[in-house]
Amino acid sequence: MGNQKLYKGSLQTIILKLLAQNDKMYGYEITQKVKELTKGELKITEGALYPALHKLEAEGLLDVEVAKVGNRLRKYYKLTENGTKETANKLEEMQEFLKTMQQLVNPKFSLE
Amino acid sequence: MKLTTLQIEQLYKFTRQHYMEHYDVQTELVDHLANDIEQIWIEKPALTFKQARDISFKKFGIFGFMDVLEEKQKQMNKKYFRIILGFVKQWFSIPKIIVTLTMFYCFYLLLQFSFAQYLFPGLFFTILIIEFILLLKRRKKLNTKFKTTGKKWLFEDIIETQGNGNVIFGLFYVFQFLTPNSYDNLSTSSSLIISAATTLAVIIGYVSLIVIPKKAEYLLEKHYPEYKLV
Repeated sequence: MGNQKLYKGSLQTIILKLLAQNDKMYGYEITQKVKELTKGELKITEGALYPALHKLEAEGLLDVEVAKVGNRLRKYYKLTENGTKETANKLEEMQEFLKTMQQLVNPKFSLE
Repeated sequence: MKLTTLQIEQLYKFTRQHYMEHYDVQTELVDHLANDIEQIWIEKPALTFKQARDISFKKFGIFGFMDVLEEKQKQMNKKYFRIILGFVKQWFSIPKIIVTLTMFYCFYLLLQFSFAQYLFPGLFFTILIIEFILLLKRRKKLNTKFKTTGKKWLFEDIIETQGNGNVIFGLFYVFQFLTPNSYDNLSTSSSLIISAATTLAVIIGYVSLIVIPKKAEYLLEKHYPEYKLV
């Protein structure tokens, strides 16, 4: 398992990206999907996921939908129009960040 | 293996025991715990419901549900103040602006009377008493609702506690710090500031204790998609 601290600042971007690909998702589904995609490398903790989701919802980036599934209610999250725009921005920021980190940890020297 | 309705109810009770008393926040956590318990049972079918539940709960960390609750309260409070601000802004539109200006002018005139030292505090306490009566009425109504439905909603609680508490304290502080010790020879600027602050306190009081509670049902339905489902 990798260093979870390194992923911490990227939680919102990860959530937004997943929702951009999956129309609507519920909390538990997000944790499982991340586990599956990263082959267990990244485990989103419950104590971090819900505060992040509620924050994104309050910022107007996510919309909620509630449906009765079996004998319980399920809260689904989906991107709002603003959320879709913000996802693009956050992903761009993430790419920049990755590029910068790459340069720092693995600099390529050229003879130019 | 799927959870039974009784086990779902037990999960609601479990969240209540861990200081989550609002139905809206409980619902999301109950679904999460239920999904996780079902997943745990696939891997370890021999575990009892309680054992699987405890394993799932431990994943929330040492503070349990507290992180979730704190963030939710923070967001709801922000939302509440945005709504208040929206209503207050609406207030400053014609014809309400005329009422506001008249009220402001009345307070200003009142301060110029020679017996302002009796009239003004008297007026202030009358407003306080009216607000207190409104607060008690609202509390009674909510208690009755809770007894009938058995459900508390976080946003509804915030409408009540913030609305009542802040407004009454706000009014109290205006009275305490802005009103002068002596009403003799009050300067024009002091009179203007006191009148403006009193007008604002009355408007905020009216919006928080009358306008918003009246729209509470609509706001709850808008905020909680599940409000109508249960």
